[in-house]
Amino acid sequence: MPIETNTPARWIEINDLIKRFHYQPVLNKLELAIHDGECCLLVGDNGAGKTTLLRIIAGLTRPSQGQVTICGEFAAGDPQLRRRIGYVGHQPMFYQDLTATENLNHYARLYQVNNAQAAVVDALDRAGLTQHQHQPVRTLSRGMQQRLSLVRATLHNPVILLLDEPYTGLDQEAAKAFDATLQYLHKPGRVVLIAAHRPQRLLKITSHIAWLRNGVIYQHIPADQIHATPDLQHYLQEVT
Amino acid sequence: MKPTVGYLQVIWQILRKEVLIEWRGRQGVPVMLVFALMIVFLFNFALQLSPDLQAGLAAGLLWVSLAFASTLGLNRSINLERENNALDGLLMAPVDRSAIFFGKALGNFIFTFLVGLFLLPIFSLFYSQNMLQLPLLLVLLLGLGAYTSLGTLLSALSIQARTRDILLPVLLYPLALPVLIAAVEASQGVLSGQTLGAVSHWIYLLLAGFLIFTASGLLFFETILEE
Repeated sequence: MPIETNTPARWIEINDLIKRFHYQPVLNKLELAIHDGECCLLVGDNGAGKTTLLRIIAGLTRPSQGQVTICGEFAAGDPQLRRRIGYVGHQPMFYQDLTATENLNHYARLYQVNNAQAAVVDALDRAGLTQHQHQPVRTLSRGMQQRLSLVRATLHNPVILLLDEPYTGLDQEAAKAFDATLQYLHKPGRVVLIAAHRPQRLLKITSHIAWLRNGVIYQHIPADQIHATPDLQHYLQEVT
Repeated sequence: MKPTVGYLQVIWQILRKEVLIEWRGRQGVPVMLVFALMIVFLFNFALQLSPDLQAGLAAGLLWVSLAFASTLGLNRSINLERENNALDGLLMAPVDRSAIFFGKALGNFIFTFLVGLFLLPIFSLFYSQNMLQLPLLLVLLLGLGAYTSLGTLLSALSIQARTRDILLPVLLYPLALPVLIAAVEASQGVLSGQTLGAVSHWIYLLLAGFLIFTASGLLFFETILEE
Protein backbone atom coordinates (compact mmCIF):
# COMPACT_ATOMS: atom_id res chain seq x y z
CA MET A 1 0.00 0.00 0.00
CA PRO A 2 1.44 3.40 -0.90
CA ILE A 3 2.19 5.63 2.04
CA GLU A 4 0.85 9.15 1.76
CA THR A 5 3.49 11.85 1.88
CA ASN A 6 1.72 13.62 4.74
CA THR A 7 1.61 10.48 6.88
CA PRO A 8 2.53 11.57 10.40
CA ALA A 9 5.56 10.17 12.13
CA ARG A 10 3.40 8.93 15.00
CA TRP A 11 1.51 6.03 13.46
CA ILE A 12 -0.21 4.93 16.60
CA GLU A 13 -1.03 7.55 19.18
CA ILE A 14 -3.04 6.79 22.29
CA ASN A 15 -4.13 9.47 24.71
CA ASP A 16 -5.84 9.20 28.07
CA LEU A 17 -7.12 5.70 27.30
CA ILE A 18 -9.33 4.06 29.89
CA LYS A 19 -10.94 0.65 29.54
CA ARG A 20 -13.10 -0.75 32.28
CA PHE A 21 -14.55 -4.23 32.53
CA HIS A 22 -17.33 -4.49 35.09
CA TYR A 23 -16.36 -1.07 36.45
CA GLN A 24 -12.76 -2.23 37.05
CA PRO A 25 -10.22 -0.24 35.02
CA VAL A 26 -7.84 -2.52 33.12
CA LEU A 27 -6.22 0.37 31.27
CA ASN A 28 -6.11 3.58 33.24
CA LYS A 29 -5.27 6.84 31.41
CA LEU A 30 -2.77 5.05 29.20
CA GLU A 31 -0.56 7.09 26.86
CA LEU A 32 1.50 5.59 24.04
CA ALA A 33 3.00 6.79 20.76
CA ILE A 34 4.57 4.44 18.25
CA HIS A 35 6.53 5.85 15.35
CA ASP A 36 7.17 4.82 11.79
CA GLY A 37 9.47 1.81 11.52
CA GLU A 38 9.17 0.87 15.16
CA CYS A 39 8.94 -2.78 16.14
CA CYS A 40 7.68 -2.52 19.68
CA LEU A 41 7.51 -5.34 22.18
CA LEU A 42 4.68 -4.93 24.65
CA VAL A 43 5.40 -6.76 27.89
CA GLY A 44 3.39 -7.12 31.06
CA ASP A 45 1.99 -9.69 33.44
CA ASN A 46 -0.98 -11.88 32.64
CA GLY A 47 -4.09 -9.74 32.88
CA ALA A 48 -2.12 -6.50 32.57
CA GLY A 49 -4.26 -5.51 29.57
CA LYS A 50 -1.95 -6.28 26.63
CA THR A 51 -4.64 -8.05 24.63
CA THR A 52 -7.21 -5.38 25.51
CA LEU A 53 -4.85 -2.66 24.29
CA LEU A 54 -4.19 -4.46 21.01
CA ARG A 55 -7.90 -5.10 20.47
CA ILE A 56 -8.68 -1.43 21.07
CA ILE A 57 -6.06 -0.38 18.51
CA ALA A 58 -7.49 -2.96 16.10
CA GLY A 59 -10.99 -1.52 16.53
CA LEU A 60 -12.40 -4.71 18.03
CA THR A 61 -12.97 -3.30 21.50
CA ARG A 62 -14.45 0.07 22.30
CA PRO A 63 -12.50 2.16 24.85
CA SER A 64 -14.40 3.45 27.88
CA GLN A 65 -12.64 6.79 27.46
CA GLY A 66 -9.76 8.33 25.52
CA GLN A 67 -8.59 8.52 21.95
CA VAL A 68 -6.74 6.22 19.60
CA THR A 69 -5.23 7.80 16.50
CA ILE A 70 -4.05 5.64 13.61
CA CYS A 71 -1.85 7.38 11.02
CA GLY A 72 -3.13 10.72 12.26
CA GLU A 73 -6.83 9.83 12.05
CA PHE A 74 -9.19 8.97 14.87
CA ALA A 75 -9.73 5.23 14.82
CA ALA A 76 -13.31 5.14 16.08
CA GLY A 77 -15.75 3.72 13.56
CA ASP A 78 -13.85 4.32 10.32
CA PRO A 79 -13.94 1.12 8.26
CA GLN A 80 -11.35 2.46 5.84
CA LEU A 81 -8.78 2.81 8.62
CA ARG A 82 -9.03 -0.91 9.37
CA ARG A 83 -7.41 -1.57 5.99
CA ARG A 84 -4.14 -0.24 7.44
CA ILE A 85 -4.15 -2.75 10.29
CA GLY A 86 -3.29 -6.43 10.38
CA TYR A 87 -4.03 -8.37 13.56
CA VAL A 88 -2.98 -11.80 14.78
CA GLY A 89 -4.90 -12.69 17.92
CA HIS A 90 -4.94 -15.64 20.29
CA GLN A 91 -7.19 -17.56 17.92
CA PRO A 92 -6.47 -18.06 14.19
CA MET A 93 -9.82 -16.52 13.03
CA PHE A 94 -10.39 -19.16 10.34
CA TYR A 95 -13.42 -21.20 9.34
CA GLN A 96 -12.45 -24.75 10.15
CA ASP A 97 -14.39 -26.45 7.35
CA LEU A 98 -12.89 -24.25 4.63
CA THR A 99 -9.45 -24.87 3.15
CA ALA A 100 -6.49 -22.56 3.71
CA THR A 101 -6.95 -21.10 0.21
CA GLU A 102 -10.70 -20.60 0.64
CA ASN A 103 -10.20 -18.82 3.95
CA LEU A 104 -7.53 -16.53 2.52
CA ASN A 105 -9.56 -15.85 -0.63
CA HIS A 106 -12.48 -14.85 1.59
CA TYR A 107 -10.36 -12.29 3.44
CA ALA A 108 -8.61 -11.11 0.28
CA ARG A 109 -11.99 -10.31 -1.29
CA LEU A 110 -13.21 -8.49 1.82
CA TYR A 111 -10.02 -6.40 1.78
CA GLN A 112 -10.32 -5.97 -2.00
CA VAL A 113 -6.77 -7.14 -2.55
CA ASN A 114 -5.67 -6.72 -6.18
CA ASN A 115 -5.39 -10.04 -7.99
CA ALA A 116 -6.67 -11.79 -4.88
CA GLN A 117 -6.07 -15.35 -6.07
CA ALA A 118 -2.51 -14.69 -7.22
CA ALA A 119 -1.78 -12.82 -3.97
CA VAL A 120 -3.07 -15.79 -1.95
CA VAL A 121 -0.99 -18.31 -3.92
CA ASP A 122 2.09 -16.13 -3.50
CA ALA A 123 1.52 -15.60 0.23
CA LEU A 124 0.99 -19.33 0.84
CA ASP A 125 4.19 -20.05 -1.04
CA ARG A 126 6.17 -17.56 1.06
CA ALA A 127 4.77 -19.10 4.24
CA GLY A 128 5.72 -22.59 3.05
CA LEU A 129 2.11 -23.77 3.14
CA THR A 130 1.54 -24.46 -0.56
CA GLN A 131 1.29 -28.21 -0.10
CA HIS A 132 -1.42 -27.73 2.52
CA GLN A 133 -3.43 -25.12 0.63
CA HIS A 134 -6.35 -27.44 -0.20
CA GLN A 135 -6.65 -28.96 3.26
CA PRO A 136 -9.44 -27.85 5.57
CA VAL A 137 -7.97 -25.61 8.26
CA ARG A 138 -9.10 -27.98 11.02
CA THR A 139 -6.60 -30.57 9.72
CA LEU A 140 -3.64 -28.18 10.01
CA SER A 141 -1.40 -28.19 13.09
CA ARG A 142 -1.48 -25.30 15.56
CA GLY A 143 1.85 -24.07 14.20
CA MET A 144 0.59 -24.12 10.60
CA GLN A 145 -2.56 -22.28 11.60
CA GLN A 146 -0.42 -19.65 13.32
CA ARG A 147 1.66 -19.19 10.17
CA LEU A 148 -1.54 -19.00 8.17
CA SER A 149 -2.80 -16.34 10.59
CA LEU A 150 0.22 -14.21 9.85
CA VAL A 151 -0.41 -14.68 6.12
CA ARG A 152 -4.01 -13.54 6.62
CA ALA A 153 -2.96 -10.52 8.66
CA THR A 154 -0.40 -9.38 6.06
CA LEU A 155 -2.30 -10.28 2.90
CA HIS A 156 -3.46 -6.69 2.38
CA ASN A 157 -0.01 -5.30 3.19
CA PRO A 158 -0.99 -3.37 6.33
CA VAL A 159 1.20 -0.58 7.67
CA ILE A 160 0.34 -1.46 11.27
CA LEU A 161 0.77 -5.05 12.39
CA LEU A 162 -0.53 -6.13 15.79
CA LEU A 163 0.58 -9.53 17.07
CA ASP A 164 -0.78 -10.99 20.26
CA GLU A 165 1.41 -13.77 21.72
CA PRO A 166 2.40 -14.92 18.22
CA TYR A 167 4.67 -17.74 19.43
CA THR A 168 1.88 -19.63 21.18
CA GLY A 169 1.81 -23.22 19.95
CA LEU A 170 4.87 -22.92 17.71
CA ASP A 171 7.60 -25.55 17.92
CA GLN A 172 11.28 -24.53 17.81
CA GLU A 173 11.53 -24.72 14.02
CA ALA A 174 8.30 -22.84 13.41
CA ALA A 175 9.37 -20.20 15.96
CA LYS A 176 12.64 -19.67 14.07
CA ALA A 177 10.72 -19.28 10.81
CA PHE A 178 8.45 -16.81 12.58
CA ASP A 179 11.52 -14.82 13.76
CA ALA A 180 12.67 -14.55 10.15
CA THR A 181 9.22 -13.43 8.99
CA LEU A 182 9.11 -10.78 11.71
CA GLN A 183 12.52 -9.46 10.70
CA TYR A 184 11.31 -9.29 7.10
CA LEU A 185 8.16 -7.42 8.14
CA HIS A 186 10.01 -4.95 10.36
CA LYS A 187 10.96 -2.12 8.03
CA PRO A 188 10.36 1.59 7.51
CA GLY A 189 6.82 2.24 6.39
CA ARG A 190 5.39 -0.19 8.90
CA VAL A 191 5.04 -0.48 12.64
CA VAL A 192 4.83 -3.79 14.45
CA LEU A 193 3.43 -4.07 17.97
CA ILE A 194 3.92 -7.47 19.59
CA ALA A 195 2.39 -8.44 22.91
CA ALA A 196 4.22 -11.22 24.69
CA HIS A 197 4.15 -12.61 28.18
CA ARG A 198 7.50 -14.42 27.79
CA PRO A 199 9.40 -12.15 25.45
CA GLN A 200 12.92 -13.61 25.55
CA ARG A 201 13.39 -14.40 21.85
CA LEU A 202 11.77 -11.16 20.76
CA LEU A 203 14.31 -8.98 22.56
CA LYS A 204 16.78 -9.50 19.71
CA ILE A 205 14.27 -8.53 17.03
CA THR A 206 12.38 -5.55 18.41
CA SER A 207 13.52 -1.94 18.29
CA HIS A 208 11.52 -0.76 21.34
CA ILE A 209 10.04 -2.17 24.51
CA ALA A 210 6.89 -0.94 26.22
CA TRP A 211 6.08 -2.20 29.72
CA LEU A 212 2.41 -2.26 30.58
CA ARG A 213 1.98 -2.15 34.34
CA ASN A 214 -0.96 -1.12 36.54
CA GLY A 215 -2.97 -0.03 33.52
CA VAL A 216 -0.38 2.40 32.14
CA ILE A 217 2.73 2.25 29.97
CA TYR A 218 5.26 2.34 32.76
CA GLN A 219 8.31 2.32 30.45
CA HIS A 220 8.66 2.80 26.69
CA ILE A 221 12.28 2.78 25.60
CA PRO A 222 14.50 1.78 22.67
CA ALA A 223 15.60 -1.83 23.10
CA ASP A 224 19.27 -0.87 23.14
CA GLN A 225 18.72 1.28 26.26
CA ILE A 226 17.42 -1.55 28.35
CA HIS A 227 20.57 -1.54 30.52
CA ALA A 228 19.63 2.00 31.66
CA THR A 229 16.34 0.82 33.17
CA PRO A 230 17.17 -1.70 35.90
CA ASP A 231 13.58 -2.37 36.94
CA LEU A 232 12.55 -3.34 33.38
CA GLN A 233 15.71 -5.39 33.02
CA HIS A 234 14.92 -7.12 36.30
CA TYR A 235 11.31 -7.75 35.21
CA LEU A 236 12.41 -9.27 31.90
CA GLN A 237 14.90 -11.52 33.68
CA GLU A 238 12.13 -12.66 36.01
CA VAL A 239 9.64 -13.54 33.28
CA THR A 240 12.21 -15.31 31.12
CA MET B 1 -6.25 4.19 -0.80
CA LYS B 2 -9.25 2.31 -2.19
CA PRO B 3 -12.81 3.21 -1.26
CA THR B 4 -14.72 0.92 1.07
CA VAL B 5 -15.56 -2.34 -0.63
CA GLY B 6 -18.96 -2.15 -2.31
CA TYR B 7 -21.76 -2.84 0.10
CA LEU B 8 -23.49 -5.44 -2.07
CA GLN B 9 -20.17 -7.09 -2.84
CA VAL B 10 -19.58 -7.61 0.89
CA ILE B 11 -23.07 -9.06 1.38
CA TRP B 12 -22.41 -11.42 -1.53
CA GLN B 13 -19.02 -12.42 -0.11
CA ILE B 14 -20.48 -13.22 3.33
CA LEU B 15 -23.37 -15.15 1.77
CA ARG B 16 -21.00 -17.08 -0.45
CA LYS B 17 -18.91 -18.02 2.59
CA GLU B 18 -22.04 -19.16 4.50
CA VAL B 19 -23.16 -21.36 1.60
CA LEU B 20 -19.67 -22.81 1.09
CA ILE B 21 -19.37 -23.74 4.77
CA GLU B 22 -22.83 -25.31 4.72
CA TRP B 23 -21.95 -27.25 1.58
CA ARG B 24 -18.72 -28.51 3.14
CA GLY B 25 -20.08 -29.34 6.57
CA ARG B 26 -23.73 -30.11 5.77
CA GLN B 27 -24.47 -29.60 9.43
CA GLY B 28 -27.09 -26.87 9.23
CA VAL B 29 -29.89 -27.61 6.76
CA PRO B 30 -29.96 -31.43 7.28
CA VAL B 31 -30.23 -31.03 11.08
CA MET B 32 -32.97 -28.40 10.72
CA LEU B 33 -34.81 -30.64 8.30
CA VAL B 34 -34.63 -33.75 10.50
CA PHE B 35 -35.87 -31.72 13.46
CA ALA B 36 -38.78 -30.23 11.49
CA LEU B 37 -39.72 -33.64 10.06
CA MET B 38 -39.79 -35.13 13.54
CA ILE B 39 -42.39 -32.56 14.56
CA VAL B 40 -44.47 -33.26 11.44
CA PHE B 41 -44.42 -37.03 11.95
CA LEU B 42 -44.93 -37.02 15.70
CA PHE B 43 -47.90 -34.67 15.65
CA ASN B 44 -49.49 -36.51 12.74
CA PHE B 45 -49.35 -39.87 14.50
CA ALA B 46 -49.98 -38.55 18.00
CA LEU B 47 -53.11 -36.54 17.29
CA GLN B 48 -54.95 -38.83 14.83
CA LEU B 49 -57.28 -36.02 13.81
CA SER B 50 -59.97 -35.99 11.15
CA PRO B 51 -58.90 -34.46 7.80
CA ASP B 52 -60.80 -31.21 8.56
CA LEU B 53 -59.05 -30.70 11.88
CA GLN B 54 -55.69 -31.67 10.41
CA ALA B 55 -56.04 -28.92 7.83
CA GLY B 56 -56.65 -26.36 10.53
CA LEU B 57 -53.64 -27.56 12.43
CA ALA B 58 -51.29 -27.61 9.45
CA ALA B 59 -50.52 -23.88 9.43
CA GLY B 60 -49.69 -23.80 13.13
CA LEU B 61 -47.50 -26.89 12.94
CA LEU B 62 -45.70 -25.62 9.86
CA TRP B 63 -44.65 -22.45 11.69
CA VAL B 64 -43.82 -24.22 14.95
CA SER B 65 -41.50 -26.61 13.09
CA LEU B 66 -39.94 -23.79 11.04
CA ALA B 67 -39.42 -21.55 14.09
CA PHE B 68 -37.73 -24.28 16.13
CA ALA B 69 -35.69 -25.59 13.21
CA SER B 70 -34.59 -22.07 12.34
CA THR B 71 -33.29 -21.53 15.88
CA LEU B 72 -30.98 -24.52 15.39
CA GLY B 73 -29.70 -22.93 12.18
CA LEU B 74 -29.21 -19.55 13.86
CA ASN B 75 -27.21 -21.12 16.68
CA ARG B 76 -25.08 -23.02 14.20
CA SER B 77 -24.48 -19.88 12.14
CA ILE B 78 -23.25 -17.78 15.04
CA ASN B 79 -21.22 -20.64 16.53
CA LEU B 80 -19.28 -20.78 13.25
CA GLU B 81 -18.21 -17.20 13.86
CA ARG B 82 -17.35 -17.88 17.50
CA GLU B 83 -15.17 -20.86 16.66
CA ASN B 84 -11.56 -19.63 16.44
CA ASN B 85 -12.82 -16.04 16.76
CA ALA B 86 -13.61 -15.96 13.04
CA LEU B 87 -15.95 -13.10 13.82
CA ASP B 88 -12.94 -10.92 14.72
CA GLY B 89 -11.62 -11.54 11.23
CA LEU B 90 -14.87 -10.22 9.78
CA LEU B 91 -14.98 -7.24 12.14
CA MET B 92 -11.39 -6.30 11.25
CA ALA B 93 -12.24 -6.07 7.54
CA PRO B 94 -12.57 -2.56 6.06
CA VAL B 95 -16.28 -2.97 5.40
CA ASP B 96 -19.50 -1.54 6.77
CA ARG B 97 -20.39 -4.00 9.51
CA SER B 98 -24.10 -3.83 8.74
CA ALA B 99 -23.26 -5.57 5.44
CA ILE B 100 -22.02 -8.51 7.53
CA PHE B 101 -25.45 -8.59 9.20
CA PHE B 102 -27.25 -8.63 5.85
CA GLY B 103 -24.97 -11.36 4.50
CA LYS B 104 -25.52 -13.58 7.52
CA ALA B 105 -29.26 -12.85 7.72
CA LEU B 106 -29.63 -13.68 4.04
CA GLY B 107 -27.77 -16.95 4.56
CA ASN B 108 -29.98 -17.88 7.52
CA PHE B 109 -33.07 -16.97 5.52
CA ILE B 110 -32.08 -19.08 2.51
CA PHE B 111 -31.33 -22.16 4.63
CA THR B 112 -34.62 -21.87 6.56
CA PHE B 113 -36.59 -21.17 3.39
CA LEU B 114 -35.10 -24.30 1.80
CA VAL B 115 -36.30 -26.32 4.79
CA GLY B 116 -39.73 -24.68 4.39
CA LEU B 117 -39.87 -25.59 0.69
CA PHE B 118 -39.01 -29.18 1.51
CA LEU B 119 -41.65 -29.33 4.23
CA LEU B 120 -44.56 -28.03 2.14
CA PRO B 121 -45.16 -31.19 0.05
CA ILE B 122 -44.71 -33.35 3.16
CA PHE B 123 -47.32 -31.29 5.00
CA SER B 124 -49.61 -31.65 1.97
CA LEU B 125 -49.24 -35.38 2.22
CA PHE B 126 -49.73 -35.74 5.95
CA TYR B 127 -52.29 -33.02 6.60
CA SER B 128 -54.53 -33.37 3.52
CA GLN B 129 -53.97 -29.83 2.25
CA ASN B 130 -52.53 -28.36 -0.91
CA MET B 131 -49.65 -26.41 0.60
CA LEU B 132 -47.93 -25.72 -2.72
CA GLN B 133 -49.63 -22.38 -3.35
CA LEU B 134 -48.00 -19.12 -4.41
CA PRO B 135 -49.75 -17.04 -1.70
CA LEU B 136 -48.40 -19.41 0.94
CA LEU B 137 -44.90 -18.98 -0.51
CA LEU B 138 -45.31 -15.22 -0.11
CA VAL B 139 -46.28 -15.69 3.55
CA LEU B 140 -43.28 -17.98 3.98
CA LEU B 141 -40.96 -15.42 2.38
CA LEU B 142 -42.13 -12.55 4.58
CA GLY B 143 -42.51 -14.55 7.78
CA LEU B 144 -39.13 -16.25 7.53
CA GLY B 145 -37.51 -12.99 6.37
CA ALA B 146 -38.70 -11.24 9.51
CA TYR B 147 -37.91 -14.18 11.79
CA THR B 148 -34.37 -14.77 10.50
CA SER B 149 -33.56 -11.02 10.54
CA LEU B 150 -34.52 -10.84 14.20
CA GLY B 151 -32.79 -14.15 14.90
CA THR B 152 -29.54 -13.03 13.29
CA LEU B 153 -29.53 -9.82 15.31
CA LEU B 154 -30.28 -11.62 18.58
CA SER B 155 -27.74 -14.37 17.93
CA ALA B 156 -25.12 -11.62 17.59
CA LEU B 157 -26.33 -10.22 20.90
CA SER B 158 -25.98 -13.58 22.60
CA ILE B 159 -22.57 -14.45 21.15
CA GLN B 160 -20.59 -13.10 24.09
CA ALA B 161 -22.88 -14.49 26.77
CA ARG B 162 -21.90 -17.66 28.62
CA THR B 163 -25.50 -18.89 28.35
CA ARG B 164 -25.74 -18.14 24.62
CA ASP B 165 -27.50 -21.38 23.66
CA ILE B 166 -30.31 -20.64 26.11
CA LEU B 167 -30.29 -16.89 25.64
CA LEU B 168 -31.15 -16.95 21.94
CA PRO B 169 -34.50 -18.78 22.22
CA VAL B 170 -35.38 -16.91 25.43
CA LEU B 171 -34.98 -13.60 23.61
CA LEU B 172 -36.15 -14.69 20.19
CA TYR B 173 -39.47 -16.43 20.81
CA PRO B 174 -41.23 -13.65 22.77
CA LEU B 175 -40.02 -10.95 20.39
CA ALA B 176 -40.95 -12.97 17.32
CA LEU B 177 -44.38 -13.91 18.66
CA PRO B 178 -46.30 -11.17 16.75
CA VAL B 179 -44.61 -12.25 13.52
CA LEU B 180 -45.33 -15.93 14.17
CA ILE B 181 -48.98 -15.21 15.00
CA ALA B 182 -49.34 -13.16 11.82
CA ALA B 183 -47.67 -15.91 9.79
CA VAL B 184 -49.94 -18.61 11.24
CA GLU B 185 -53.08 -16.52 10.69
CA ALA B 186 -52.10 -15.60 7.12
CA SER B 187 -51.19 -19.23 6.32
CA GLN B 188 -54.44 -20.52 7.79
CA GLY B 189 -56.40 -17.97 5.77
CA VAL B 190 -54.66 -18.96 2.54
CA LEU B 191 -55.13 -22.67 3.22
CA SER B 192 -58.83 -22.20 3.91
CA GLY B 193 -59.23 -20.67 0.47
CA GLN B 194 -59.22 -16.96 1.31
CA THR B 195 -57.62 -14.54 -1.11
CA LEU B 196 -54.47 -12.59 -0.25
CA GLY B 197 -56.63 -9.46 0.03
CA ALA B 198 -58.68 -11.07 2.79
CA VAL B 199 -55.55 -11.71 4.87
CA SER B 200 -53.80 -8.51 3.85
CA HIS B 201 -53.75 -7.16 7.43
CA TRP B 202 -51.64 -10.14 8.49
CA ILE B 203 -49.43 -9.72 5.42
CA TYR B 204 -48.87 -6.06 6.32
CA LEU B 205 -47.95 -7.08 9.86
CA LEU B 206 -45.39 -9.53 8.47
CA LEU B 207 -44.02 -6.85 6.17
CA ALA B 208 -43.78 -4.39 9.07
CA GLY B 209 -41.97 -7.02 11.18
CA PHE B 210 -39.55 -7.69 8.35
CA LEU B 211 -38.80 -3.98 7.87
CA ILE B 212 -38.45 -3.24 11.59
CA PHE B 213 -36.16 -6.20 12.33
CA THR B 214 -34.03 -5.57 9.24
CA ALA B 215 -33.69 -1.88 10.09
CA SER B 216 -32.75 -2.85 13.66
CA GLY B 217 -29.96 -5.02 12.28
CA LEU B 218 -28.75 -2.17 10.10
CA LEU B 219 -28.70 0.21 13.07
CA PHE B 220 -27.56 -1.95 15.98
CA PHE B 221 -25.49 -4.86 14.63
CA GLU B 222 -22.16 -3.01 14.88
CA THR B 223 -22.88 -1.68 18.39
CA ILE B 224 -23.93 -5.13 19.59
CA LEU B 225 -20.75 -6.80 18.38
CA GLU B 226 -18.22 -4.32 19.76
CA GLU B 227 -17.00 -5.24 23.21
